[in-house]
Formats: sequence, C-alpha cells, structure tokens
Amino acid sequence: MKRVMFRPAAMTTLVAVIVVAGAPAAAAQPLCDKSEIRLVNSMREIAQPYHANLDKGGRWFAAWAGIKHYVLQLNQGDSDKQISLMRLLVATNARCTVFNVEPNADLVIKPMVDVANQSGAWIVTHWAHNEGLHPFDGNDHWIAHVAVDSMEAGVAISRLLVDAMGRKGGVVALQGRLDTDPARKRFAGFQQVLRDTPGVKLLDQQTANWDRTAAFPVMQTWLAKYGSQINGVWAANDDMALGALEALRAAGLAGKIPVVGVDGIPEAIAAVEKGEMISTVSSDAFYQGSIGLAMGTCILTGQTPLPATLSKEEREFYLKLVVITHDNAAQYLREPEPSAYAADWQCDKLWSRSTGKAF
Amino acid sequence: MTPADHQRAAGSRPAAEGPELRSWGPLLALIVVSLGFGLAKPGFATVQNLWTIADRSAIPLILAVGTTFIILQGSIDLSIEGVMAVGSLTFAMCVLNSRTGLDLGVFGLVLASFAGAGLGLLSGLVITRLRVPSFMVTLGVWSAGTGIAMLLSGDQPPLIRDPMLRALGLGRSIAVPNLFLVAVAVVLLGYVLQSYTRFGRYSMMIGGGEDLARLLGLPVDRYKVLAFAFAGLLSGLGGALESARVGLGHVDVGAGQMFATITAVVIGGTSLGGGRGGVLQSAVGTLVLAVLTDGMIFVGVSPYAQKAVEGGLILLAVLVATWPLRSRLRIVK
Amino acid sequence: MTEPVLRVEGLSKSFAAVRALDDVSLDVRSREVVGLIGENGAGKSTLLKVLAGVLRADRGRVIVHGAPVSPANVAAAAACGIGIVFQEQALLPNVTVAENILLGHEGRALRTGFYDWRTLYALAATQLEKLGAEISPSALTATLSFAERQLVEIARALAIEERTRREPIILLDEPTSMLDVNGIETVLGQIERLRRRASVVFVSHRLDEVLRVADRIWVMVNGRCIAMRERAMCDIADLERLMLGRELDAGCQQQAPSSTHGPKVRLSVRELGRRNSYRGVSFDLHAGEVLGIAELAGSGGESLCRALFGAERADVGEIILDGRPVRLREPAEAVGHGIGYVPAERRLEGVVGGLGVRQNMTLAHLDELRRGPFIDVVGELRLVKNWIDRLRIRTPTAETPANSLSGGNQQKVVLAKWLIGRKLKVLILDHPTRGLDIGAKAEMFALIHKLARDGLGVLLVADTVDEVIALSHSIIVMKDGVVSGRFPASAAKPSRLQVLERML
Repeated sequence: MKRVMFRPAAMTTLVAVIVVAGAPAAAAQPLCDKSEIRLVNSMREIAQPYHANLDKGGRWFAAWAGIKHYVLQLNQGDSDKQISLMRLLVATNARCTVFNVEPNADLVIKPMVDVANQSGAWIVTHWAHNEGLHPFDGNDHWIAHVAVDSMEAGVAISRLLVDAMGRKGGVVALQGRLDTDPARKRFAGFQQVLRDTPGVKLLDQQTANWDRTAAFPVMQTWLAKYGSQINGVWAANDDMALGALEALRAAGLAGKIPVVGVDGIPEAIAAVEKGEMISTVSSDAFYQGSIGLAMGTCILTGQTPLPATLSKEEREFYLKLVVITHDNAAQYLREPEPSAYAADWQCDKLWSRSTGKAF
Repeated sequence: MTPADHQRAAGSRPAAEGPELRSWGPLLALIVVSLGFGLAKPGFATVQNLWTIADRSAIPLILAVGTTFIILQGSIDLSIEGVMAVGSLTFAMCVLNSRTGLDLGVFGLVLASFAGAGLGLLSGLVITRLRVPSFMVTLGVWSAGTGIAMLLSGDQPPLIRDPMLRALGLGRSIAVPNLFLVAVAVVLLGYVLQSYTRFGRYSMMIGGGEDLARLLGLPVDRYKVLAFAFAGLLSGLGGALESARVGLGHVDVGAGQMFATITAVVIGGTSLGGGRGGVLQSAVGTLVLAVLTDGMIFVGVSPYAQKAVEGGLILLAVLVATWPLRSRLRIVK
Repeated sequence: MTEPVLRVEGLSKSFAAVRALDDVSLDVRSREVVGLIGENGAGKSTLLKVLAGVLRADRGRVIVHGAPVSPANVAAAAACGIGIVFQEQALLPNVTVAENILLGHEGRALRTGFYDWRTLYALAATQLEKLGAEISPSALTATLSFAERQLVEIARALAIEERTRREPIILLDEPTSMLDVNGIETVLGQIERLRRRASVVFVSHRLDEVLRVADRIWVMVNGRCIAMRERAMCDIADLERLMLGRELDAGCQQQAPSSTHGPKVRLSVRELGRRNSYRGVSFDLHAGEVLGIAELAGSGGESLCRALFGAERADVGEIILDGRPVRLREPAEAVGHGIGYVPAERRLEGVVGGLGVRQNMTLAHLDELRRGPFIDVVGELRLVKNWIDRLRIRTPTAETPANSLSGGNQQKVVLAKWLIGRKLKVLILDHPTRGLDIGAKAEMFALIHKLARDGLGVLLVADTVDEVIALSHSIIVMKDGVVSGRFPASAAKPSRLQVLERML
C-alpha cells in the first residue's frame, strides 16, 4: 500500500491558503493603544466653509471615537509647507499617527506618501490625482485615495444649468485655479455638456482663483460687456458662484439668472433653497474630513486589516456625490449632527459611500 | 540779465497753489489705454462699463491714498491685506450678521477703521521706536492681521445681513456706485491732507531727505507713525467696505491688493524712493490698472495669458510714466 | 564796550582721536560782521556746527545774549537766535521755497494745522525782499540755481529775526565758494544788509572778501583760535602768515606758465553746439597748453566741458582728437580716448566717498594694474603712495575713506585718479580750486602748470577771472553761449578788465 505522506510543502501551502482565505475576515492585532493614536487633518486653510467643515468632521470623529489627540495643519496654499508640516509631526510617534490630507496641489501627494512610507505613519488623501501613482503599488502606508469625480460633478451641475436655461442662450464660466485637477476636470465636464447642447454658447471664461472677491468684479465686467446675452453663470466652486451672485444682485438680477457651483457650503445651499442658485454639489466636507481618520483608526485598533490586504477598489475609489437642487436643499440646510455620521464611521461601513474604483 | 535770470528762465517754473501733477505720463497712459480699449471693443466705451470700472477701482483707490503717504515718506507698507482682513471681520461681526447679536450699522465701519488704525499704529511705533525697517515690520503685521482675522472668522465666516450696508456696498446713487463715491471722498480728503496740512507737507519733506529733515528739527518719527496709522485706517475701512459688497467677513478679502496697490502708486508716478508724487497721481495709476484689467476681459484676453499681458502692460505704463524723468547720469537701483 | 551778543568760551570737540576744536574762545559783538578764517581742517565748520546745534561740544560754553545755550538741533538753535547757512546746502529739494524758509515757524500761515498758502508765500516774500532777491516763493526748491538756493538759505537764517525780539546771529559757512563773480557780489552785498539787523559770522577762504566785509577777523589753526585782528590793522599777507604759519610766495599766484607750448594740436573743436546751452564753439587745444574758459555761470562753459567728456551730447559740431574725429557718447569712451575730467562738484561726481583713497585713485585704471585675473596689489600700493607724495595729499593712510579728507585733499585724489593712467592726453578741469584754501590753491596752481609742462592739453574753467588769467596760456571768453572773445597765447597777458568786458 502506498503511504500518503504529508509533504511539508503541501502543508505550508494548505495553511497559507487557509490563512489568506480567512484574512479579510479575521481581526488583526491592534497596532496602537487608543490613547496613543494621533489624528491629523492637513488642509489649505480654514476660512472657507468647505475647509471649516472638513475640520469639524475630523473633530467630531475624534470626539466620537474617544481619541484625545487631534491636530489641524494649515499650509495657506504653500505646498512645501504642507509637506514640511507633515515631516515635523512624524518625528514623534509616527506609527500611531493618521494623516487625512487635502493636497494643496497634485504634486504634493508623492512626497507625502513617501514620508508616510518611510516613517511608518498612515495617510489618506483626497481629491487630486497623480498619474501612475497608486496606493496599491506597494505604498503600504497609503491607506486609500478618496477621489472625487470632478468631471462628474462638473457634468451634473452643467446639465442642470443648461436645463434651467431652456437649453439655449449664452453662458459665462468662472474657473478655479487653473493648475489644479478639480478646476480642470470640472470645466471639462462643463465643456462636455456644452458639446451636447448646441443651443447654448459659452460667451466668456475667466479664472477667479476660487475666490469670491475676485469673481465679483469679473462678473460685473461681463454684465457690462454682454448685458442681456448672459442667460446662465457657471462657477467651478460655490465661493465664486456667490461672488457672481452678489454682482448680479447689484444689477438687480439675483434669482433671475441661473447660477451653479460646487462644494455644497451652507451659504450656497441656502441660495439654492431661495432660488438664487440652481444647484451645487457636495462631497460632504464633514465626511471627507473624518473618513480618512476613521479608516486609520480602524486599522490601528486592529478592526480593519492592513492596507496591503485590501482590494484595489478599496484603495482608490470615487466618493458618492450629492447633487443639491431646490428639491432637496431644505434637508441639507442645517448643519448635520455628528451622530449622523456614526454609521459611516463604523469599521465595517468605511467604504459605504464608494461608487467604485477610481480612474 | 544776470545768470540768476538765465537759470530762472530755463529751469524754475513756479508751482501752482500746492503741488501739481509733475509729469503728464500717467495721465497720458490712462487716456491712451482707455482709448485703445474703446476702439478695440465699442462695448467698452459705454456708461455702464464706465461705472463698472469705477466700482472696480473704488476699494483700490481708498487703499492707494493711504499707501501714497507712506511711500512719499520713503517707507513701504506690505500689511494691507492683513489689515483689510481684520477690518473685514471686525465690521462683519459688529453689524447685523449671522454670528453675533450686534447691530451697530454704520458704526461698524468706524470700528473697522479704528482696528485698522490700531494695526497701523503698531507698525509705525515698531518702525520708529525699535528702528526696524518698514519692509519687515509690515510683513509681520500682514501675517498677524491675517491670523487675527482667522481667529475671528473661526469656522463660520459671519454673513452680513444689514440691508443698508449691503446697499452701500452694492448700490448706486443716481447711477454712480456708492463705493466709488466713498472713494472719491477719500481721494479728495487725501489731496487736502497732502497739500494743505503739516502731515502732508512734512511727509513730502521726510521723503525728500529724512536726515536733513531731522537736522532741521522736524519731528520725523511722529509723522511716520501718523502715516502708518492713517494707512491702516484706510486699509481697515477698505476691508469693511469690500465686505459690505460681497456680503461676509472674509479673511481673503484683500487678496492681491498689496501688489496691485503698490503697482498703481508706481504707475501713477509716485517714486518708491520717496519725496515725489502724490494722491492724485496714485489715483490715476489706480484707474490705469482698473481700466487695464477690465479692458482685458472686454477684449477677450485668454485667462491663461492675462497675467503675462498684465505684467507687460504695467511695464509699459511705468516706462511711459517715468521716461521724462530719466537723465543719463542718474543711477538706477 | 557793550556785552557781546555771542560768546564762546573754552569750546572743545573731538572726533575719535582727532581734536577738531581745542579750547576755542571768541566773541561777536552786536551788529558786527566777524570773519572766521583758517586752513581746511582748522575747525571753522565744526565750530559753526556746534553753534548751530548740529554737533554737541565736549566741553565749554556758548553764551547768547548773556544766557548760556546748548541747542540740540537746528530748530532749537534758531529758537535761541542762531541761524546757519551751511556750506553744503541744507534745503529740502522737493518742497517750495516758502516752506524751506519758514520751516518750523510758519506762524499765521499754518493755522489749526492747515496751510494758508497765500500767507505763507507772502511771509516768505517778505524775507526774500530783505535780501532783494527776486525768487518766487512758490517755486520748487530743486528748480533753483545754486546761487538762488544760497539766497534762500540766507533768507531762512534771517527769518529767525521774526521770532526773536533781539537781533539774530547768522553763521555763514563758506557762502561764496561755489559762486561766480556776480554771485559773490550779491552775497557780499547781502552781508552788508544783514549787518543792519543781525550779527554775522562769515567763514571764507577768500581773504580779500573777508577783508572787505568783516569788522574783525578771528584766525583758527588746528582747532584753536589763535588770533584776532581788527580790519584796519591787517592785510592779506598778515592773515596768510597767521593762517599758514608762513608767508605764501606772492609770486606764486601770478606765476605765468611757460608762455610757449608745442605746435601739436591735441584737441580740436569745430562749431560745437547744444540747444539752449552754447553754439558755434570752435577752438584748438595744443599739447602743453592751458586753455582757460572765462565765463559767468550759465554761459555754457560747464556744459561744453561735459560734452567734451561724453557726459552730455552736443547737437551739432565736431570733436577732433589728435587729428581724428571722435564721437563721445559716454564718459567711458572719452576715457578710452585719453580724456580726463575733474568735475566741479567733486563730492557728487569726483570721489566715491565711502571708498578709500587708494581705491578711488585706481578705480578707473584697474586694467593697467592687472596681472592675469588678479590685481597687482603691491604695485598698486606703490603707485598710490607715489602719487600721495607727489601731490602732497594729506591723509592718515591710503585706506582712509575719501569723504573724511578735507576738500582740497579730495580734489587732489580726484586729480591723481586721472594722472595715474598712462594714456591721458587731455585733462578738463572744471573749477579745480573751488572750495580750497590758500595753501591748497597754490599747490593746485603749481600742479596745473606742471601738467602742462608735461605735455598734457589742459582745458580749464576757473573760479575767478584772476585765476583764469594767471593759469592759462590762452583764454576764450564765453557769454550767453557763444565765444565772445579770444586771447591767444602770447607773452602779454590780458588785463582783468579786458576779460571782464567780454564776459558781461
């Protein structure tokens, strides 16, 4: 009779298969004690409501999770500063620190991911995208990239705008900072819709650098130049939309000409509710400001497996956008309660707002 | 004829009552630029656009008046944007708004101006008492002002709800934008101060030769502090008025104004070295800049190229403004 | 004898190691003009500056109208009744004449902080009238000529009169040194007028002027006040002796250069003209010749010199150097051709004040001192020391900053700068002895003679008619921009009158 020997190789393979198969379900070891965890939100500034809400979301999460250390890093639009602030912090207790990052510019991501990889800190990025750079390409400390499909946002508001214009007439466009991905993608979405709507003509486009005070005089000049030819105003973000709105108000046209923007700041939602703006899109700043921190915390407390074991779709995904129009504005008008996000922060629900793999 | 008569015939023209527009370059530049755009795009030369330009230049005019006195003295003020931010937030929080329960109306403008004056006073004192160059001090005050404004703004910038003040910022009186009327008043005030008060004339003297002025017993430090306080006051006021226009207290309300103001003052013919120029000249320079920016949108200069074009046109305007003042042996720093 | 209005007792002031004033005592009586003379560096300017509140003395007392004073600045001195007219003008250039005159005491014209321009102009006009000056009070100070600004300074000093009940003391620091014949007469006339209402301390290098107007003369040597003379009791020779400690060779001033020069024409000018300055100017300058230009200020001579150096451009005409026509577009080209220029305002255009003597001298000639990429430092120093000795430049070291030397020595440094180069063919001297004391002037005269003897062509615009006559082989007279007279080289020199005739 031939004896079947348990060969060591086979044994190892068997064990490995079992381990791998079971890994996603199995709980990993906690890497840090909750009291050691440090949560960091790194963003441009705090004066704009979008950023203010990012910060708020982060604080709410920290409070809800019972984590004492929360740090806010502001770089005032200086990319070098954003990177060096991160370096400063990882000098101490890197392995228990989680960075949730709104990158100042596209080129900031790689250096920051490198810092995370080298120091052992954890990082989640939002928005900007570097071609060819992916979390799943061996960047084990880069938990995830939360992409916002800026093109989709641009398309969404543009469709609503041309519809409000009756699919004909002239439109003016206020662009964001021309060297940023969201600006380019949103405008690309707009251009796509324009191509599909031959009755609508783009009269002019200028950049107002995301800023309300810059948008105001531009809109004024356009009113002088084009007068009644303007039937709609497209703005790459809410702040500029509101600036244009004030110029319209000065000309007695507030509410008479449709205006759209992006970001979903409270003022814009109020304007949509009032009918002075047609639409805005929100990626939910509170969510964005907290989800990265939640992911990091779940990993550090061992409730979520290490990034290296997550799927590509989990490492890089599109965030669900909320298009706000007159119909649903009322419900978004008030600032949400922190508890509204508790469900999203559960370690098994972290990806509940993903709409699929990005790029 | 004595040699003295020769010289007098050749060189000395008695000045008009008080100072005059020394060189016609900037005014010429303004006319040329306006005509140029008007011819290129007929829509440019309409009354509506005229008021648009007036509105666009209102706040810069107010800022230019304050900056002029400082530059006349031979110093520089880089803190405009920070002080505007403080003025903006102070104003927004003192009038009917979404954050605080105050409703001080026009007095909000006064408080904002005082806040600005306070920062200017701080600059002036550090410069004169601690002998730190104005360049550095005002850089610091810029940062400090922005920081204070950020603290005030917190996480929710105050939205201005006072209808009268919004009307001030957005409305017109008999077709003329209100803010422009305020600006004109400030420019006139500046002119009177410059030509008819000690503050103005002594500032000119300080710019013409600070050491000499000190030697002759002029209380130089006192007037320097005064100039900075005055500029701060106008920056604070400017920030508040801009807020009345856009409807909220905003840390970035002065974004880009520092560079624009100094450029306007230089285009107008006020020398950065001090001692030459004036409020009216700076006003002309400001208008040139406003016409330029407005005109470029009218003509349809691509936003990607605008900064480059703006820079080039500014260079041209400065050349036109300073050409008659060249002399071969003069040193250019 | 009445109490003097101003009394200085034991005044001492030192700058580092240098004793500028050493126990100086003097007095000035009421309605008196006192002359203060001394070599450069004797302390005259320092004394005036202490009196005017610009400097503080280390020791000693100043008593004005019987009361001791120690003003902290010019305004305070003015309040005490002391006004000063500086040698280097101290007028604010970018404001009106009226503002300069009445600075600090505008009175009625500046009520409640507001200027009443009409009153200001009227008050200023009053002050100017005292001097008989025809200057508009609303003129911008920078547009005035040097002479006119001088008058404004005097008017400012005199305006003190309005503030004090007693007569003011006016200090004049070398008011005539930069003026031409007409200007000097004006100032001396002013001093006479001032005498009627003030006491005057008048500092000058020109002993003849001092003797004309001063009642008494104080002599300073090396920071001490060594003597006082009544006008009637002394003459120029006496004063020179006191000042220099020796007698100046009287002949030195009148010494004629060798009356011949070579036939070789170095520089030729044909029909040179510049709008509003001069026209149709033609002359030849030979090697070894000193050609003097006699003119009143503003007659085109200075402009002509600048054109010959490339600092200005003539509109028409030709400049021919050693037989070849040249175009001088800028000074560097002129230097390249071997033309040097010692300017009138040496502080502005001659020395680089902050740099040392050595650097100033070799500035224009670093090429010649180069060895490869380096400067031959040893050779440079040797050269510089050589010239310091030859020209007898009084300086502590070769590195001393040029602006701390006295005027005369600065002038020598400027001269040395040009002479150091080997290529010099033509040297243009614009008022070379302006502001120099007797001793320095004599030395400069000798130098100029020597330069000519060495074969240089020298073009000279001199301070006074006498100087032009004494120094030059040939003279051209300019009036209103044209050549109005020529005195070619010959054994017989023109008389003062002859030259003056053609100037006026």
